[in-house]
Amino acid sequence: MRWFGFGFNAFGQIHASEKVIKDGRSDVTKEVKVIHPTELGKHVDTNGCCLQTSQIRASWSRRASLHLDGNSSMCLAGYGTGISNGPCGIPMEESHGCTDAHVNESYLTLVFVDRIECWNLQKEENTLSWSMEIKPPSESSETPVNFPLVFGGYIAPKPPFYHPLSPQLKARSLALGAEHAILLTASGTVYTWGLGSHGQLGHGSLTSEEEPRAVEALWGMPMSCVATGGWHSVCLSDGGDLYVWGWNESGQLGLPSRGLRKALQQQSTQQAGPLCPAASTASPEGEKHEEVFISIQAFPALLDVTPSCEIKTASCGSRHTAAVTTTGDLYTWGWGEYGQLGHQMLISSDEPQCVEFFKEQQMRVVDVECGAWNTFAAVIKEDVA
Amino acid sequence: MARLWSKVSVVLPLNEEQFPLQFSDKVESSVVDVLKRCRQQLYSHTSTSRLLDAQIILDISWEKLNTGTWRHVDKEWRRVYSYGCLFKVAALCHEDPSADEILQAIRTCDMGLLMGAAIMDNILQIIVQILQGEVRKSAEEDETNCAEVKKIRLESPDVPVIKENLAIPRIKCPSLESFNTNYLLTLKPVILEGIIDHWPALNDHPWSIEYLRCVAGFRTVPVEVGSRYTDEEWSQTLLTVNEFIDRYILKKDAVEGLGYLAQHQLFDQIPELKEDIRLPDYCCLGEGDEDDITVNAWFGPGSTVSPLHQDPQQNFLAQVVGRKYIRLYSPEDTDKLYPHQSQLLHNTSQVDVENPDTEKFPEFAKAPYLECVLQPGDVLFIPVQHWHYVRSLELSFSVSFWWS
Repeated sequence: MRWFGFGFNAFGQIHASEKVIKDGRSDVTKEVKVIHPTELGKHVDTNGCCLQTSQIRASWSRRASLHLDGNSSMCLAGYGTGISNGPCGIPMEESHGCTDAHVNESYLTLVFVDRIECWNLQKEENTLSWSMEIKPPSESSETPVNFPLVFGGYIAPKPPFYHPLSPQLKARSLALGAEHAILLTASGTVYTWGLGSHGQLGHGSLTSEEEPRAVEALWGMPMSCVATGGWHSVCLSDGGDLYVWGWNESGQLGLPSRGLRKALQQQSTQQAGPLCPAASTASPEGEKHEEVFISIQAFPALLDVTPSCEIKTASCGSRHTAAVTTTGDLYTWGWGEYGQLGHQMLISSDEPQCVEFFKEQQMRVVDVECGAWNTFAAVIKEDVA
Repeated sequence: MARLWSKVSVVLPLNEEQFPLQFSDKVESSVVDVLKRCRQQLYSHTSTSRLLDAQIILDISWEKLNTGTWRHVDKEWRRVYSYGCLFKVAALCHEDPSADEILQAIRTCDMGLLMGAAIMDNILQIIVQILQGEVRKSAEEDETNCAEVKKIRLESPDVPVIKENLAIPRIKCPSLESFNTNYLLTLKPVILEGIIDHWPALNDHPWSIEYLRCVAGFRTVPVEVGSRYTDEEWSQTLLTVNEFIDRYILKKDAVEGLGYLAQHQLFDQIPELKEDIRLPDYCCLGEGDEDDITVNAWFGPGSTVSPLHQDPQQNFLAQVVGRKYIRLYSPEDTDKLYPHQSQLLHNTSQVDVENPDTEKFPEFAKAPYLECVLQPGDVLFIPVQHWHYVRSLELSFSVSFWWS
């Protein structure tokens, strides 16, 4: 499995380069905004072995690569790691034996079989600011849970880290947005809570919820995956259908966005940068008559990403969305001004579009993980029959 | 235009060391790192990525400004946003800016003034004055600009006839003492005549369309679009004063709907306009500090409506241009006015005052009221909590003073 990244790279979190760190004279834009999917550097351990990256976790300024086979560990790239630390970033001593990680601007959370550790990244030297023991998953009784869920609750990315959750929810997975949360239960029911100002809770209103509340519109449809961006939420049904709701300001829901069309128009009337395509791409099929624009979608809406395919997994950046089909294609939509959509230009899109690069390279996308303003895709080489 | 950069750079700190970038730990060090890159580029002669880094700051702080509710946004992030605006403006003006880039820089200053928090002794306010001077100079050179000015068609509105027994009393320049005893202490509405005749806005600098274009044309302001703020379709947008005038006052593009530059603290944003008005002396009768008086501009075409609502402060509504029909209800009759149930609109009545649904709101007809047509030069005293309904009869510019 190989990992590719594209989008925001101002801290060298996709690939480090002198020019990004120092103020180079060449085209800095190309370094800060990686528009061509770029393969991530491999981490070579002390024995000279090339470690497989099993998972990527990314924040606005950093990228964590998890190497989970054998003696598991994690490398950190991007802000604060400099450029002299190998193509995969700095291997973190403290991460040996970890099973998962989460990184944001202030903290690195490491998950071990028996404990959780939160490291403060704001200090000169990484300091352990909080830790908690956890019960190793018992053999049969409980549903296995994925981080940020832990037995009895979940771990938030900032203090207070631990939040209890009712055991009655039987949570299976959880995604945390800027101010809201979306939870999936063992039976496939979706719950949301937190701030609802942009429709991100999916209960049909803009009010906030203190406690987890079931998204009624999805009742009876078991879901298999949940993800959240800054102000939007997505979930995936067992049958591979994608549901979206929340704010559509940059087209992150894949629904017609007036704000986005306006911005594109403005960009094309002002002198366009060298990386912006001509104005005609603003509305590919020409303006439809009386198109219904969606600014806020307060109920889950079924999104036809690609009519004939099922979706296998999805991930959200702060204002963009990426989905992988069972056939190995990657689709992206939403905010694209840093190249995070992988369409090899700096343009947003309110329609899901296939990332052609992987198709052209005969690569099968198997997983996707979005950072705030960038995207990371795992691929395997398609067997040529 | 290298001249322009020399004017702008003069108001900036002399060098990097004297340029402050201090933030609380709410602002993560990765963000501060980009801010420092911006600062470094500001004083470097070779940089090519000034705009790029400024935009990163604007994008990240924009996300923070939109996270959580507006009043809970940490002020530090509003400061970061202002720094982003400052760096972008500097990048735009650095080398030979085109006329379009100058306008973009003015817009960027305004975004910082509207959404950010003041930084470096309100440097954005200082820079926007410099940029505006530049634009005005080139406009003056362009003589045809003035020749093009057309007279606006005079509307001849239906002016409601005010029944004598319902008319709000009028009084000419009362003494502080008599205003206090007869109106303020008793919370009785009254129209004060002759107390703003000395405003430059009514004398030397009459607020014509041309004048407003000249003073504020390229400035960005918030505009309410839709007939009234209680409507589903109602929204807010940002436009330049010129765009607002073309679209919603002169109605050049034949866009549907009403636009209203309403409840905006325009005089803080554009100090030149503040010179044209004065605080009414009667405000000193309040207990509040003079600095706490909120001065709002209300500028729009005929037919804008502010639905029946109440405010938590005393209000002087000064009419500068055009006429407005106004109706007042006492807070004692609130039970007949059917306020909205929702938290957000509980200070607003559900009743369409001039076309009430008598079946849905049977008590409304029983509520006594006072009314008036406010003329240019009139100042209406709306006592605290008094319900008021306002409809413009023609092109109108009013100034409200909220005080306590």
